[in-house]
Amino acid sequence: MHLLMNMKKAVLILTMLVMAFSFPGGIKASDGGDAGKIDPKEIIFEHLGDGYGWEVPFNHHKRMPLPIIVFGKDGLHCFSSSRLAEGKEYRDGDAVFKIAGKDSKYKGKVVEMVDGEEYRPWDFSITKNVCGVFIAVILVMWSVLAVARWHKRMAMKAPRKVVGIIEALISFIYDGVIRPTLKDRAQKFAPYLLSVFFFILYMNLLGLIVIFPGGANLTGNIAVTLVLSILTFLVTNLFGTKHYWKEVLWPDVPMWLKVPIPIMPVIEIFGVFTKPAALTVRLFANMLGGHMIVIVLTLLIFIFAAMGPVVTGATTVMSVFFSIFMLLIDVLVSFIQAYVFTMLSTLFISFGQEHGHEQHEKGAEQLQPQIIENK
Amino acid sequence: MELFTPDFGLIFWMFVAFAVLFFVLYKWGWPVIIKGIESRADLIDKGVEYAQNAKEQLDHAREEAEKYIVDARRQQAEMLREADKMKTQIIEDARMAAQKEAQKVMDAAKVSIEQERKEAELSFRNEVSAFALDIAAKVVRNEMKDQKAQSRLVDSLLDDMEKQN
Repeated sequence: MHLLMNMKKAVLILTMLVMAFSFPGGIKASDGGDAGKIDPKEIIFEHLGDGYGWEVPFNHHKRMPLPIIVFGKDGLHCFSSSRLAEGKEYRDGDAVFKIAGKDSKYKGKVVEMVDGEEYRPWDFSITKNVCGVFIAVILVMWSVLAVARWHKRMAMKAPRKVVGIIEALISFIYDGVIRPTLKDRAQKFAPYLLSVFFFILYMNLLGLIVIFPGGANLTGNIAVTLVLSILTFLVTNLFGTKHYWKEVLWPDVPMWLKVPIPIMPVIEIFGVFTKPAALTVRLFANMLGGHMIVIVLTLLIFIFAAMGPVVTGATTVMSVFFSIFMLLIDVLVSFIQAYVFTMLSTLFISFGQEHGHEQHEKGAEQLQPQIIENK
Repeated sequence: MELFTPDFGLIFWMFVAFAVLFFVLYKWGWPVIIKGIESRADLIDKGVEYAQNAKEQLDHAREEAEKYIVDARRQQAEMLREADKMKTQIIEDARMAAQKEAQKVMDAAKVSIEQERKEAELSFRNEVSAFALDIAAKVVRNEMKDQKAQSRLVDSLLDDMEKQN
């Protein structure tokens, strides 16, 4: 009850804060803003997308500069992103760089200007998302190594506080997912799967924090989820047993399904690639969706700002309320998605570890639709 | 749509970052933690088992003690009963002995009384016979005052002697 009162109070204060900040901002935007009118799509994709430089709270123009690293026509160029701020061109030796404008097909990316033409160089810049990934890596390393150090120092004590929380997560995944699925091979694959779980969980949670260490939409970016599922794909297939490959190339089905036209082998081989694809899209779409809903709810305030103070006020209260609600759900979703990704990875790896008969396969086939339904 | 076309730079850095993360944690993170958790779980299991054993033993000991107590109590009761029996036995024996003694004394008394009585009877008889003889002598003396009567008696006595022979 007390908590509820506190939350109500917090919502009220937040609402007032948002109203206080939103009115001048809104007026300014319509006075001398970029386009005069709000373009929700633009704002949404700007917030969800990558960028050179990290946004600073309450300021639309200043950004924390991040290094840009590109391989242009004439080799490596390395400079601060602040040199390209607000559409400026930067000359580094003979090469001229700028961030492509709205009409370009490389919109928002660094391009090299060669004879007036835009040329996209190999771009290894530490963008906002790359920086976010590094922050997540550092946080995961720090927390896991802290637990490891704790284990070395006082092995047989009961873990408390932060160590206890992280350990609970570790045993939740290790004892709840990895060991029951992989049995005696659990120890072999546990480092990979646990790393994946914590990495995704931290990236998801960082994505929910609005200002600096967070704010990068990492797991809602297809490149990040793609890399993770490619790794699962590689682990599954590189460590796959003979039995697994036999099941893929010559499955245990009636002969007419494989001999004249190899229907089943084709389906199976297709399945090998659809599994990581499903992993990629699931995590990406879920996280992206969550972020998008929160942004849209916030944007509603500004869209309705044109309709007078009463409507704006009502919309603000509702939007903030639903945003907070969605963010709380997103905390849960962050955990669930990290869990689901780890569980499916474990499952796929366990298919590759099969020696006996197809009992596991059946169980997995039943499990998978259930998970999708739960989502 | 930038979101749906994976960016090469991000993929590259993501690979690098995850490789570093995985390597570091593979080397210094997970094995230590997993081993730690497992060994602690073993320790806890062992502890629980030990505690259970100890409890079992304690229960067992308690049972044993109870058994001993019951046994002791039974023995005590038996001893008491025995003592009781012995007591009554002793009393009985004593009474018996006393009775016997009393009987003996009584018998002796009886015998002596009998003897006394016999002696008394004998002396009484002697006295009575002395008295009788005295009386008879007196009577005979009175009777034999005259000669005739004396000769008559001698005659009759002689007759008797003759008859006997």
